[in-house]
Amino acid sequence: MAEITPFTYRPGDSILHLLDTRLKFFIISLVNISMLPAGFISTGFYFFMLLFFFKKTGLRFFSMLSNMKFFLILLVFVFLARAFTITGDTVFSSFGVTVSNQGLAEGGMVAFKFFLIMLTGIIFSATTKPSSVKTAVQWFLKPVPFVPEKRVAVMISLALCFMPVILRQAKEVSDAQKARCAHLQKNPIRKTIGIVLPLLKKTFLSADNLILAMESRCYSDDRTDPEFNPSGKERGFFFGSIAVSICLILF
Amino acid sequence: MPKAIIDIKDLSFIFDDGFRGLNHISLSINQGEFIILAGKNGSGKTTFLRHLNGLLMPTSGTIRVNGLEISKHLIETRKTVGMVFQDPDTQMVGDTVFDEVAFGPENLKITRARIKEIVTKVLETLNLFHLKDRNPSTLSGGEKRKVAIAGILVMDPQVIVFDEPFSNLDYPGILQVLATIMDLHRAGQTVMIATHDIEPVIFEATRMIIMEKGSVKEDDVPLNLVGRLESYGVREPCFSKFGLEPQSWQK
Ligand SMILES: Nc1ncnc2c1ncn2[C@@H]1O[C@H](COP(=O)(O)OP(=O)(O)OP(=O)(O)O)[C@@H](O)[C@H]1O
Ligand SMILES: [Mg+2]
Repeated sequence: MAEITPFTYRPGDSILHLLDTRLKFFIISLVNISMLPAGFISTGFYFFMLLFFFKKTGLRFFSMLSNMKFFLILLVFVFLARAFTITGDTVFSSFGVTVSNQGLAEGGMVAFKFFLIMLTGIIFSATTKPSSVKTAVQWFLKPVPFVPEKRVAVMISLALCFMPVILRQAKEVSDAQKARCAHLQKNPIRKTIGIVLPLLKKTFLSADNLILAMESRCYSDDRTDPEFNPSGKERGFFFGSIAVSICLILF
Repeated sequence: MPKAIIDIKDLSFIFDDGFRGLNHISLSINQGEFIILAGKNGSGKTTFLRHLNGLLMPTSGTIRVNGLEISKHLIETRKTVGMVFQDPDTQMVGDTVFDEVAFGPENLKITRARIKEIVTKVLETLNLFHLKDRNPSTLSGGEKRKVAIAGILVMDPQVIVFDEPFSNLDYPGILQVLATIMDLHRAGQTVMIATHDIEPVIFEATRMIIMEKGSVKEDDVPLNLVGRLESYGVREPCFSKFGLEPQSWQK
């Protein structure tokens, strides 16, 4: 079941693995926002920094790239769209489309920034346990009024826990349909309905059982608080990330 | 006279649609017993078990756990009577084995430090500690059942009730779960198992209850009942069919 996508958690004990998840959330939001106005130099600098952290966490950069080829294709489209639509000094023009210098530069920059944001996300999800994402979300929601943060956390962990089960059930349903020649059905809507209905039924039945199981284990919203294990390096990373985002904005 | 933990008097249950699920059941469950609840599909085993920890409430009659009326002491009841459900996939709520086992104690607002201690102890007892960071839905069938058992055991119940603990398991899986249940019983745990395959457990059981159409038809020492099993739609164990001595499945 454990298919390897670029966004799966890989156990390890690098500094990024040990860093407090709440801080990682903070850094990602800060850096990704400051990336918007960033210029060429600081973006390039940030790229090398990411490469350094890739190495630190033991992730393999090139195998990662091959895992995200669909995303790279998307980036090519982003690049082309920019290159064709922005006007300026003409590089070449034929069949009524004009490609400008500025368009190429702008498109390259936007695609590159998307790529870096993606890499940041990969590093984050590879070094962060889903369960600690859940506790961090719970912590951030705590000051928000009218949001039952503990219930949200239970919902996230249910989602994480049930995703593989639902995927497996979907596969079972689709196999069962294939065994009865459903693949001969060419109408895609009928085909989808044929899979979704049994799957929904199964999911609702599972939900009924789940409610009973939770109730029999004394489920209540008033639960033990989560726990955080800061690594002690948080302060350095906090100021470091602020410095990086100032650089990104200025240069 | 052994101490009765659960005391059931004239229990009847009628479903919303008027179907009579349980019919005037009176019995008590004593400290240290290992009870097999046998009966064919639809005989009311699951319906009966769900009454024992307050997931269903009697239409008439009373159930007392340690002298306390269930409907007025739900939390105490659910701490005293732990319930392991038939399908482990739909009773998992945690995204890691550790969190899954910690779910019950968290509901009781036990402190984080104490939770760590008791969860670790239970995982070690059941030989699951090396799996503590895995997503439960990626485990083998036998391991999943053991995690489900751990999630109940950690609440330190006096009675553990199993609904079809061996269904969908291969032979090694059955042996694995069987060994766990037997160890629990030998350590003094009171156990009740609903099953239509009594072969693996009959050697260990101290008592067998046979249900049919919502009524208790027989309640005796297992060896006195083996000859009569098939008239109630339960397969007779091989040893008695072939006139052999009963033998433990455990190696
Ligand atoms: N919600 C319901 N409404 C009406 N009847 C029900 C409901 N749930 C179960 N029943 C009926 O109650 C009877 C007993 O069901 P129960 O699930 O307790 O049997 P069981 O002995 O556990 O069977 P199995 O071996 O298949 O698990 C069945 O005939 C079933 O059809
Ligand atoms: Mg049943």
